[in-house]
Amino acid sequence: MALTKMVTEVSSPPTSGSLVGALASNGQIVLVAALVIICVGISLVVPQFYSGANIIAILRQVALVLIVACGMTMLLITAEVDLSVGASLAFVGVVAMDVINLTDSVFLGAVAGIAFGAFVGLVNGVVVTRLKVNSLIATIGTMMILQGGVFLYTREAIQNHHHIASFVDIGAGYVGPVPIPVIIAAIIFVASYVVLRHTTLGRYLYAVGANEKTARLSGLRSTRLKLFAFVLTGALVGVAGLILGSLMNAGQPTAGRGFELTVIAAVILGGTSLSGGRGTLIGTLLGVFILKIIDNGIIILQWNQDLQMIVPGVVLILAIYLDILRRRADAR
Amino acid sequence: MQKSILGLLAAGTALVAVMAAPAIAQDTPKRIGYVVNYATHEWYQNVIKGMKDHGAELGITVEVKDANLDVAKQVSAAEDFIAQGVDVLILTPVNEEGVVPLLRRAKAAGMPVVLEGNPVKGMTTMVAICDYDTGYDAGVEAGKYAKENLDGVAKVMNVGLPLLSATVLRSEGFMDGIRTEIPDATLVHDLDGGGNPDRSLEVSTAALAQNDDINIIYGINDSSSLGGLQAWKAAGKSQDDLLVVGTGGEGLAFINAMENEPSYRIEAAMFPEKNGYTAIEAAIKVFNGEEVPEHIVSPTAPMVGDEWSTYYDYDGSTRSIKWDAVNALVPPEKCTKTAADLK
Amino acid sequence: MPAEAAMAGTVAAVPPLAMTGIGKHFPGVIALDNVDLTLEAGKVHALMGENGAGKSTLIKILAGVYGKDAGTIRIAGRETTLSGPADALRQGIKVVFQEIALISEFTVAENIFLEEYPTGRTGSIDWRKISRDAKALFERIGFDVDTSARTGTLPISQQQMVEIARALAQEARIVVMDEPTSSLTPNEVALLFTVIRRLTSLGIAVIYVSHKLDEVFEIADTVTVLRDGRHISTKPIADHTNETLIQDMIGRQIDDLFPRSRGQASDKVALSVKGVGTEKLEDISFEVYSGEVLGFFGLMGAGRTELAKAIVGFDPIDSGTIAVGGKPLRPHDTRTAVSLGIGLLTEDRKGEGLMLELPVVYNLSLAALGSFARGGFIDERREREAAQSYVDRFRIRTPGLYQEIKNLSGGNQQKVLLARWLLKGLSVIVVDEPTRGIDVGAKSEIFALIDQLAADGHAIIMMTSEMPELLGLSDRIMVMGEGRITGSFSRDEATQEKILNAAIV
Repeated sequence: MALTKMVTEVSSPPTSGSLVGALASNGQIVLVAALVIICVGISLVVPQFYSGANIIAILRQVALVLIVACGMTMLLITAEVDLSVGASLAFVGVVAMDVINLTDSVFLGAVAGIAFGAFVGLVNGVVVTRLKVNSLIATIGTMMILQGGVFLYTREAIQNHHHIASFVDIGAGYVGPVPIPVIIAAIIFVASYVVLRHTTLGRYLYAVGANEKTARLSGLRSTRLKLFAFVLTGALVGVAGLILGSLMNAGQPTAGRGFELTVIAAVILGGTSLSGGRGTLIGTLLGVFILKIIDNGIIILQWNQDLQMIVPGVVLILAIYLDILRRRADAR
Repeated sequence: MQKSILGLLAAGTALVAVMAAPAIAQDTPKRIGYVVNYATHEWYQNVIKGMKDHGAELGITVEVKDANLDVAKQVSAAEDFIAQGVDVLILTPVNEEGVVPLLRRAKAAGMPVVLEGNPVKGMTTMVAICDYDTGYDAGVEAGKYAKENLDGVAKVMNVGLPLLSATVLRSEGFMDGIRTEIPDATLVHDLDGGGNPDRSLEVSTAALAQNDDINIIYGINDSSSLGGLQAWKAAGKSQDDLLVVGTGGEGLAFINAMENEPSYRIEAAMFPEKNGYTAIEAAIKVFNGEEVPEHIVSPTAPMVGDEWSTYYDYDGSTRSIKWDAVNALVPPEKCTKTAADLK
Repeated sequence: MPAEAAMAGTVAAVPPLAMTGIGKHFPGVIALDNVDLTLEAGKVHALMGENGAGKSTLIKILAGVYGKDAGTIRIAGRETTLSGPADALRQGIKVVFQEIALISEFTVAENIFLEEYPTGRTGSIDWRKISRDAKALFERIGFDVDTSARTGTLPISQQQMVEIARALAQEARIVVMDEPTSSLTPNEVALLFTVIRRLTSLGIAVIYVSHKLDEVFEIADTVTVLRDGRHISTKPIADHTNETLIQDMIGRQIDDLFPRSRGQASDKVALSVKGVGTEKLEDISFEVYSGEVLGFFGLMGAGRTELAKAIVGFDPIDSGTIAVGGKPLRPHDTRTAVSLGIGLLTEDRKGEGLMLELPVVYNLSLAALGSFARGGFIDERREREAAQSYVDRFRIRTPGLYQEIKNLSGGNQQKVLLARWLLKGLSVIVVDEPTRGIDVGAKSEIFALIDQLAADGHAIIMMTSEMPELLGLSDRIMVMGEGRITGSFSRDEATQEKILNAAIV
């Protein structure tokens, strides 16, 4: 019948380059292969790569990025983005530390930090969905406001004045051999995975990103769904900010520089499309691991330090290019 | 009050290399304009504080404009000051090449200029610390400490910032200094911590995981040394056989660390307030047309253990500099190594 | 035009274009297999076939976009190859694609001479000559347009004319028009046909690609039908009837394009619209009964789509009330509209209907997803079963439920979207241009489905600009013009003439 012909006619490229396209569309296999090659490569030169201490070091760094990347994945799936997460990360630590100093309560500090992060997400969401400002621009705006605002709030790092040890445990503590941040990240990852994969909410997030008008015509409340993704991302920045603050045992206004780019690069590397409607958390997990292991590898290989900036830059471009290839493969 | 001003003036002039003219013979400028490159930074906050405090003592109005890392903004702010007719212009250049024409115009307008921090071609004088010497002095102290407490072993992790020549000089100075005491001291890891605390924590974590024999952490600023120390603590290591050395002494963080962290024993203090103070002194001299050296060195000093309280008062929320102690420090006449020696 | 026809006849001895035995393979597919096409100067040759029949591949070979794998191409008797779009143009072949390839920021005149601007003695561009020559070209094709207008501001129909004028400027001998009427109003179609006749009178051979039978019967001299990449027939149009043409295209017979299995509509009011007004609509009132198909006709800009979007809550309304099954709708709120049982099958499938990159099953279950979930968790097995039942019932041709929907044909996509609403259990479905961009074969299936839905008791509101489907499917017909209802006819009293008279305000 004409149908089978039509399907293949549309999906088969007229020119060469199909190999690259095929590779790109099987993104996750490529990512796993890349991860294996990177790990084997590093460990051949530096056997300590597989040491317990290094694995824990990597996991802790992965945890911090992964927590925010879970929210960012959902946000990108709805076809929005949040560039203010790095600036918010620093502010969260400052607010949480300040509240802990005032109240002597780590719990209240944690609540304040997460609430602050969620509030930033809410503001981003309202500006994007109600004022209809493009999220790239809107969140660059909030990023600048937060970067300036945190210095209005405090010129210098806020110390853990009362030396409350339980605050330090959030970032540096262990349950058995596993660092607490890794456990927190694992819980958030599994919960996000289930929501995105198995619930109506997750499906609706894909729908809104794939075609917002379709979602509206089907009776979905697209603005609320986007708002949810913004607030969730913000709250997760709150969690990550708390962990980072705990690791540094201080609220550092200068922290989080470039964090947003690491998160977004990881998510895109994992196959989530900047244009919305597609992406998986498994891909994001792989993307975070690849970026963080490359980072770790450059340090333990003792390569030229400048590579610490260059390689993630190259990986970022590669990630965006993969996204383009993927879309080009789709357009056929 | 009057007496203390005179005393301070005398102390100040004693510091500056050229001491020919007695303080009484000097005219003081009325207004000094300062264009800072980045007022948000804690370092410059303290530089400004030192300038304003010293200016207030002498009855000089110090006005500050922030270039916020934008050279165009810096040039226009400086031209504003020139147009307003301030008596002396102080400048922390955003970009060394960018302000060359500005200096030429100031010279044409007969405006005396003092640079702070970085040299610029065609300048009259610059007030700055010596980064290499700061690191070197701290390195010597670290070597002594290691001899006594670390069995004479020095395996160093440098949490550095290779992007800037100033911070590279500090790291080089530190290693050269430590080798005067322990000749086989090794640099195990030379890291780029970006000068900020979270990145320093991150890179240090990886380095410490690879080499667990590191016993000295050097940070090119307080954020870097603290990031390194936090990485150490997060790895669950004991601080017993560790020495942490920070640089700068900009805010409260290092006081907090020296009070509470057993390993944080040495801080290479750079006294930004004193930098501001010295800049005002230099401004008065150029205003009077006195001969000044091209580089006026502002003193730095390693503070070991609780020595910090010699130089600073700390009431739990703010710190204040003890001028007598800081003014008593004698800086080197010139730096052992500068950015020009790096390549 | 007997004189011109005679002139064209003399040239006909050597065909301006003869393609023989053309073959084209894509990895895994034979797109064209031994296809012949011979044109006559001054004649319109229609090229017909369903989606995937090979029409667009053939056109792209002619345009120089694709190379051929087999066969020969002769232009004016001389064997040649077309090495690229510029080469095809140089050899006199101009293809006017559906998506107009003009620079929207340039003026009409600038676009016409894009390839080669006439220059003055100093080598500078002679703008006055460009403007003068452009005007002359439009006079030759008998169409008036402001040549200094920015091209992007013109309607699609006029941009098409600019493309045709360009063909003359480029001295094309063969003009290929790919689905030229897909976004034109009837008036614009008539104008286009006048221009096409002008082209043929100049001795130009025209290839006219279309799905639309009535247009082909009106404009074409000869028709070639392709199916599954093969040449099926080439005949003078006079030798065809509607039925034989459809049979050639789909390879089987269609007994009746508009089946009617349902009886009388009920007297139960499914939807009542009273005094609805918006920026574009004025005082619209009507009722639809369960089991009824209410057709809305109107020319471009009459307000049909605006009305459709207002009554399903997608766009806000300024005045009036809308009630479904007696319950009032909250304006500008699709959520309550869908929950009360009214929804829109959009005219813009890609823009408003499909989630192109998501699987068929996600597209199909979207509106009804809540009914497959407990505590927010989707029971995917039930979801799949429900979707599969519609895929079977509607004969949706897809390799699988998890196929991305963009890989389906337009007709099958449309069926998925219709199934989306039925799965949700809507009582009122507003269908806007339900057969736009859909094959003839699939069209008859969509018609049968709409008939079946009405028979099952759904109320259908059908917005259409296709006269045959309006007359063939509707129980009642309302005509719109400039945002108002300008006529209302029962099935028995409606004729094409009455409807058009009412539509022209």
